[in-house]
Amino acid sequence: MSDPASGEAGTPGEADSNTDSSADASADASADASADANTLADAQAKIFACDDVDALKAVEREFVGKQGVVAQLLASISKLPPEQRRGVGQQANALKQGVQEAVQNRQQTLAEARVAADRQGEGFDASLPPPRPRRGSLHPLTQVTRELEDLFQSMGYTVLDGPEIETDYYNFEALNIHADHPARDSHDTFFCEGDGHLVMRTHTSPVQIRALETLKPPLRVVVPGKVFRHESTDASHDHTFHQMEGLVVDRDISVAHLVGAMKTLLRGIFDRDLEVRLRPGYFPFVEPGFELDARCPFCQEGCRVCKRTRWIELLPCGLVHPNVLRAGGLDPDEWGGFAFGLGLSRLVMLRHNIDDVRHLLGGDVRFLEQF
Amino acid sequence: MYVSYRWLGRHIDLEGLSPEQLCEDLTLSTAEVEGMEKFAPHLADVCVGLVKQRVPHPDADKLSVCTVDVGQEETLTIVCGAPNVAAGQKVAVATVGTVLPGDFKIKKSKIRGVPSQGMICSVRELEIGDDHDGIWVLAEDSEIGAPVADALDLNDWVIEIDNKSLTHRPDLWGHRGIATELAAIYHRPLKAISFDWPEWGDGAPYPIRIDTPACPRYLGLPIDGAKATPSPDWLRWLLLAVGQRPIDCLVDLSNFVMLDLGQPNHTFDRHSLDPEGISVRMAREGEGMRTLDGEERVLQPSDLLICSGDAPVALAGIMGGESSKVGDKTDALLLEVATFAPAIVRRTSNRLGLRTDASARFEKSLDPTLPERAAAHFARLLAEIQPDVRFPAPPTDVGEWTDPAHTLTLRPDRVRQELGKAIDDEEITAILERLGFGVEAQADGYAVAVPSARSTKDVHLDRDLVEEIGRIHRYGNIEEKTMLAQVAPPPKDPRRNLVRAIQDQLAGSARFHETISYSFVDDGLLEKLGMLDLPHVRIVNPVAQSENKIRRTVIPSLLSGIETNRRLLEDVRLFEVGKGYLPNPDDPNKQPRELHLAGLVWATAPRGPEARFDAHTFNQLQGLTTDLLDRLGVIEVQWRPAAPPPPWAHPAKALEAVAGQDAERLAVVAELDPGFHAALGLSGEQTSEVAIAEISLDAILIAPLRGGRYSPLARYPGIKLDVAVALPDHAAAATVREAIEKAGKGSVADAELFDLYRGESVGAGRKSLAYHVTLQSDKKTLTEKDEQKFLKRFEALVGELGGELRNG
Ligand SMILES: [Zn+2]
Repeated sequence: MSDPASGEAGTPGEADSNTDSSADASADASADASADANTLADAQAKIFACDDVDALKAVEREFVGKQGVVAQLLASISKLPPEQRRGVGQQANALKQGVQEAVQNRQQTLAEARVAADRQGEGFDASLPPPRPRRGSLHPLTQVTRELEDLFQSMGYTVLDGPEIETDYYNFEALNIHADHPARDSHDTFFCEGDGHLVMRTHTSPVQIRALETLKPPLRVVVPGKVFRHESTDASHDHTFHQMEGLVVDRDISVAHLVGAMKTLLRGIFDRDLEVRLRPGYFPFVEPGFELDARCPFCQEGCRVCKRTRWIELLPCGLVHPNVLRAGGLDPDEWGGFAFGLGLSRLVMLRHNIDDVRHLLGGDVRFLEQF
Repeated sequence: MYVSYRWLGRHIDLEGLSPEQLCEDLTLSTAEVEGMEKFAPHLADVCVGLVKQRVPHPDADKLSVCTVDVGQEETLTIVCGAPNVAAGQKVAVATVGTVLPGDFKIKKSKIRGVPSQGMICSVRELEIGDDHDGIWVLAEDSEIGAPVADALDLNDWVIEIDNKSLTHRPDLWGHRGIATELAAIYHRPLKAISFDWPEWGDGAPYPIRIDTPACPRYLGLPIDGAKATPSPDWLRWLLLAVGQRPIDCLVDLSNFVMLDLGQPNHTFDRHSLDPEGISVRMAREGEGMRTLDGEERVLQPSDLLICSGDAPVALAGIMGGESSKVGDKTDALLLEVATFAPAIVRRTSNRLGLRTDASARFEKSLDPTLPERAAAHFARLLAEIQPDVRFPAPPTDVGEWTDPAHTLTLRPDRVRQELGKAIDDEEITAILERLGFGVEAQADGYAVAVPSARSTKDVHLDRDLVEEIGRIHRYGNIEEKTMLAQVAPPPKDPRRNLVRAIQDQLAGSARFHETISYSFVDDGLLEKLGMLDLPHVRIVNPVAQSENKIRRTVIPSLLSGIETNRRLLEDVRLFEVGKGYLPNPDDPNKQPRELHLAGLVWATAPRGPEARFDAHTFNQLQGLTTDLLDRLGVIEVQWRPAAPPPPWAHPAKALEAVAGQDAERLAVVAELDPGFHAALGLSGEQTSEVAIAEISLDAILIAPLRGGRYSPLARYPGIKLDVAVALPDHAAAATVREAIEKAGKGSVADAELFDLYRGESVGAGRKSLAYHVTLQSDKKTLTEKDEQKFLKRFEALVGELGGELRNG
């Protein structure tokens, strides 16, 4: 019985004397018994004075514990004359019941008070910042690529992949860009060591030929991927960037179909109908070739993105050149098609208002963690 | 290419067509206009003034005080420092308030005590020339008070056309070509130009010989009595507008003809040429010449030369030689107008890095019929400017050229089908005719005669004619149509699915950031990682010489940014899914082997000694990789020491995961070789523990995968108990795990190592391993008895390992 809690709870020292020893208790038993009513009132007062559960427990033990007041009373019965025994027994039970009831009541009161106090929300700081679990991130290029892949798949396109190191044949020759063709200038090619037949692909277009070689028409494919141009780098140019090639081959394909498909595509990307315009553009593997401009989605009167023209150049495209179809083993009198190229890096920059393309491949976590 | 609006006006009536309109229509029908600017905009801000009087400044020798009439009631007093100012001159005056180039605002001022009410300008101050010797003296008939631009009729706009969009159009590299497009767009006729020759004498034709098929045509015209005098104003202004500096009449005319008709040409000093005349031949090995820019050029047999006798005097189609430069005193000239093989010009100009206005045109395949018209144009203009010039002999016109003009058959239905619009025959033929094509009806459509200017490169197929019709009709007038096609589900794409699954897992609960890096790797980095000597695909013309290799794996690029990121973060987790390339060992000219890889790098500040035994990045990354492989459905994964470890790996702390004894390596997880930390900047405050994983997507794609079948749930409750063993330090954890399995006799559902402890209580050279074990049976509820049996067996087995069970 050296529970420190009982001391702390301010249980009066006299209680200790009550619990000391059963040996002495017999002498005062009758006096004790006569003090029963007082004892219950005393217990009730102590119980009512308890402000927490621990103190309450101590008081409860003091009276109804194994060596508590009630237990001592009952233990003393055997030494009493028989005629007193019954009365003391009843008194002890009454004391026990009274204490237990008072404890229960006090417990309930305390619990209610606790809830009431809790509901006051004391000490709660609504402005305290929550701990945030750190998270990983998907590269914005991955996010845009996935979105487009899913969009195209929903329109019946197959997603293809192709090698980043290409042969001259696939990158140029089969695409109607023969050796000494001035169009090779604009491709700023990285050449691999060797006999000059391997290059870092300058566009995703070589996969057009690979698709024609492996798939049967009619076909619809898109090819996302990394491409390389030997350009000096600045905020808007990098020597490595990402494109998505598209190729549709079918019978009776016309410019009108191309326009329709591109409009659908833009609706998918920008979530709304954008006014578009088609103008001549020169790419040797399409004929006729176009640049497709869309109304700048960012402004009404011209802005930095559209260089104040209100048009943004979005999609080079065109009808597949008959020589390309032939290179892919198809008869251009039987099959036609259109092709287009989407600048994924550019789309990412447009979407997130990124002012320096070099962030994309820069590997800085401060950039990556924003997506 | 720069195009002058006024210059176009020499070829077509521009009445009612604003420069803006022109740009818009050229963009929509012909080629991309990149921009348009007012030419010499400051000419509109200064006005014509007449210097009425000029007196010396009282206090300064070099200054004069001029009284200038600018058409206002009062004359202005202007202090002027130019030596050439004189009374009676018409000059360009910037009055008070005018802002000149450089944001230079003219204010009322006092110069050495004399008030000055404006400035008399030089051409340099107006940014229309370099001449700063003195003020600009205007033509005598200039109207006093009028803006200079109006008085001199210099209102012009410069249109810049994207050269790339002219790659296939040699005919558009001159103003007349652009005017031809405008004629078709606006239904206006081209103005006629006379290409008739001026009269020539009956002297002997100049000797010219062609010794190579690389020069299909060479036309030489001797000219006598030409002088290198300044060009007339009209010529100077047009050249200035398109950014050409006027030099003298002969140089200027040569440029003018090129920019007017698109045909480059060249003038030689006939006196400096060998009497044997001109020969055109390929260069000989080791031959050299000095070009006009003063550079000594080493030639190759693939270079085409113009020679005087046998000595090179020009790099054909690219640049003249210094030896035959036309000087001020030259009066006997030979005008060269020729056609050269485009590929030859292109190769030489690329090899020498010598790109000129001429080479840019020749490489586009020029019309071989053009030299005659261009030469006549030059001769007529020269004769107009210098009436004294004489043409002593008829032009020498040699070469085995043929007229490329040809005829195509066009079926109008094909046009309508390919454009997707019902354009009627009438419009089809009208558009072609406006563009200069001849159209004649024939049984199966039309016979379309393609003019020579469009025949060299551009128009060869009926599809090319479809483009002509489409662009002049305007693509914008074609309404969209919906494509109908059978849509089948796309074929399964395991690789793409795998990539996505890996990305999602790593960027998700594993909290890695995805990065995408360059394919080029830096030599310095490779050296730091001991990878420099591995075979790499190499680039001949890298951005920087040290970045001439294509990565074999994504790991080096991932490690390259680790220091920078560690400076900012305690815990850096990066991954990349990308490709690596191994050179083809049999033939480096064949496509290299492509590897699909995922790389993970995890760098943190070092874990302290109190950290949990498996808190290190290495353990964490191995766990994560195990989990990843499991989620991808790979079964039978085992870890074993990586043999061999990758070059970047800690030689001992490197493990590989395989599914089956002889299977391909699925993944390797290792600590970064401790020897590489310092070189990667991971020292001092950036001291880190770095774990790396490389996962082979190719291997996963062929690995055994778990089927989709579920395992039935346990029917009887199992028993969970913890066991701890103390055993010698060298004993592997795997042996304890084996002992647990063995002791359980098939009833061990799970055994998880939760503590590894070394310390006094287990004794020196010993360690304690503690496991949560779950025993489970699918036949009955296990009891305390079973647990006791298990413990007894386990204790015996641990004893065999030299260890003992610990209590607790
Ligand atoms: Zn805008």
